[in-house]
Amino acid sequence: MRISRRSLLKGAVAAGAATTLVGTAEAREHRESDPDSVGMLYDPVRCIGCRACVTKCKEANGLPYTRSADGLYDAPNDLNSETKNIIKVLNVGDKWSFMKAQCMHCVDPSCVSACMMGALHREGEGTRNHEGEKKGTGIVLYDKSTCVGCRYCQIACPFNVPKFEWNAAFPLIVKCELCRHRADAKKTGPLALANPACCEVCPREAVVYGKRAELLQLARKRQAAHPEKYEAKIFGEKDGGGTQVLYLAPKGLSFKQLGLPELSEESPAHFSESVSHAPYLHGFTPIALYATAAFLIRRNKKKEEDAERHEEGK
Amino acid sequence: MSGHGHPQAIGGKLFDPLMKFLLATFGVAVAVMAYRFFAGIGPVSNMTDGYAWGIWEPVNVVVFTGIGAGAYSVGLLCYLLNKGKYHPLVRPAVLLGAICYSLGGSSILIALGRYWNSYWLALPGVWNLGSVLLEVAVCVITYVSVLWIEVLPAVLEGAAKSKSTFWSRIGQTWGPRLASAMPYIIALAVVLPTMHQSSLGGLMLIAVTKVHPLWHTALLPTLGLISCLSMGYGAVVVLTTILRYAWNAKADTRLFADLSKVNGGLLFLFSVLRLGDLAVHGKLKYLLVPDHHLLFFVLEMALFLVPAFMFFSPKVQKNRGKLFAAALMSLWAGALWRIDAYLTAFNAGDGWEYMPSIGEIVVTVGMAAVGMAVFILVSRLFPVVTLRDSHTQSNLGAGRIGTAAGR
Repeated sequence: MRISRRSLLKGAVAAGAATTLVGTAEAREHRESDPDSVGMLYDPVRCIGCRACVTKCKEANGLPYTRSADGLYDAPNDLNSETKNIIKVLNVGDKWSFMKAQCMHCVDPSCVSACMMGALHREGEGTRNHEGEKKGTGIVLYDKSTCVGCRYCQIACPFNVPKFEWNAAFPLIVKCELCRHRADAKKTGPLALANPACCEVCPREAVVYGKRAELLQLARKRQAAHPEKYEAKIFGEKDGGGTQVLYLAPKGLSFKQLGLPELSEESPAHFSESVSHAPYLHGFTPIALYATAAFLIRRNKKKEEDAERHEEGK
Repeated sequence: MSGHGHPQAIGGKLFDPLMKFLLATFGVAVAVMAYRFFAGIGPVSNMTDGYAWGIWEPVNVVVFTGIGAGAYSVGLLCYLLNKGKYHPLVRPAVLLGAICYSLGGSSILIALGRYWNSYWLALPGVWNLGSVLLEVAVCVITYVSVLWIEVLPAVLEGAAKSKSTFWSRIGQTWGPRLASAMPYIIALAVVLPTMHQSSLGGLMLIAVTKVHPLWHTALLPTLGLISCLSMGYGAVVVLTTILRYAWNAKADTRLFADLSKVNGGLLFLFSVLRLGDLAVHGKLKYLLVPDHHLLFFVLEMALFLVPAFMFFSPKVQKNRGKLFAAALMSLWAGALWRIDAYLTAFNAGDGWEYMPSIGEIVVTVGMAAVGMAVFILVSRLFPVVTLRDSHTQSNLGAGRIGTAAGR
């Protein structure tokens, strides 16, 4: 059977197309926060540690209470597959502070970059059509129907937010989705998009829900009003490419001491995707490699067969 | 079949004590896996939200496929650079590759929490092209099929020699057909591992805060690719040497010596890139911190550099035992680098600790055992291994197919 140059080309194109599809995405642009994206601002200076937000979160999300060893009360000590929101007390030397943890709803989320089939995705930007989702909120949502439970999101998230149901035969990834299910379509503004239970119940406005841009202004206002109480930095403004949940720090404590990771302004997702996609040159490399390999292998095989024929002919 | 002998089926008793032992070991693993499907992953493993992959991904997938890269690395030499003398190594390497990659793939299925959703992977429309793991998954699944197609010539050749007219006709018809398509399949077997072995290295790129600076670098994909090549060459030498003692397989020391020079070069390249990268990024200061990371780093570098020097020593090149030892070290070098980058250098933050559970180890060992069992089974039944006294074989009438399909 002879293989024409034409069929060689066809083979190269077919296989190249398959590999290209995987390697198409190029070193991509830096992702900026959407002007209408929503998030939260947490202010540990105002927080009194009442943990009403922890309880309300469980209620709003239908999560079971985590029992302590003696089975008496709901006292999880960190985020877990039954807890999407937690208030912790941190002791740092002679200082202490309350600290809240939940999904940060990153502007360029690591989990979304890691997720194979868009189970974790920014609202309205998934790989498949999710009915009713609005683009531009930036809320990181979870679609269990395309999640294979690979847990790469857990490896990727610098805040250790996604949690896995280790003791379930049919487990889910559990994380804060900014109470998008509590949005009220009759309202306008951010409340039409989501309505985080933790912010609704907070008696001290220690955690506030709103547009990210407005929350940044609010944070600056609080810093300006009481410069003696706050550190000047706002966590999440630029850290890790920016987050939609923003944090203030009490004077004298760094965000690192509050348990937040030290991230550069480049998002981990951007770093990972640029490094891994750069060599593909928009899919040119795999096709070129395939075509070259097929050509060389075929030529070498022919040479060898010719040599054998020659030998036999002697 | 110019010069090099032709592979033949080993034959012999299929269920010898070793086979029974391997299958029993796998049986225990099957029990653990079955329990996992009812009780979840937590009860059989020590995995936590901080160490979400335990040893199943780092060892069963990343190390096993590194060992299986022998098919890729020998294939590169043999087909791309046209070094026909390596032909006798190809079939065992390809079978080893097919088995290792299949084990990696099946380990993933067991480790996946929501395995029943995997069918989505067949639909390119839902692919997130930014996901490094997606690239690995799609590429590895495709490559497993390619590898088993690469095993087929041996099977068809075996069939052609079968006493049954039916099988012999199938073998004689499809053998040459497959042989003419082979260059295009082998070309895929060059492209796919190049892609996913670098992506396997690159999986940890995104874990910027969790992987120790001595391991976290933009060179992760490059190092992943180089380490798979050197692991592959090491694995082939180790495998063929073992086959020599087990079945009197052909294991040409001169051939190994040539192969080992290539491997030595790769080990040097890896070390230079690794150390140079640390120096350029000012990370050498981490080498002054005496902790377990330093210990693993030193062990790793020793495993890379000692065999690298050994491979270039004429004394070692003439000594089968020393070549074997160096090859084994080069295999361990890549394996340890991979385990380090995924596990020992990985830390999700304060308060997370991990040691593999008995259940996890049982599954990993069981997977390795069934891999050996399949290798032995296929080699006994089909012409994979080239024996030293190849003139004793009778392959009259199969010559044409042998030429066409035999590589």
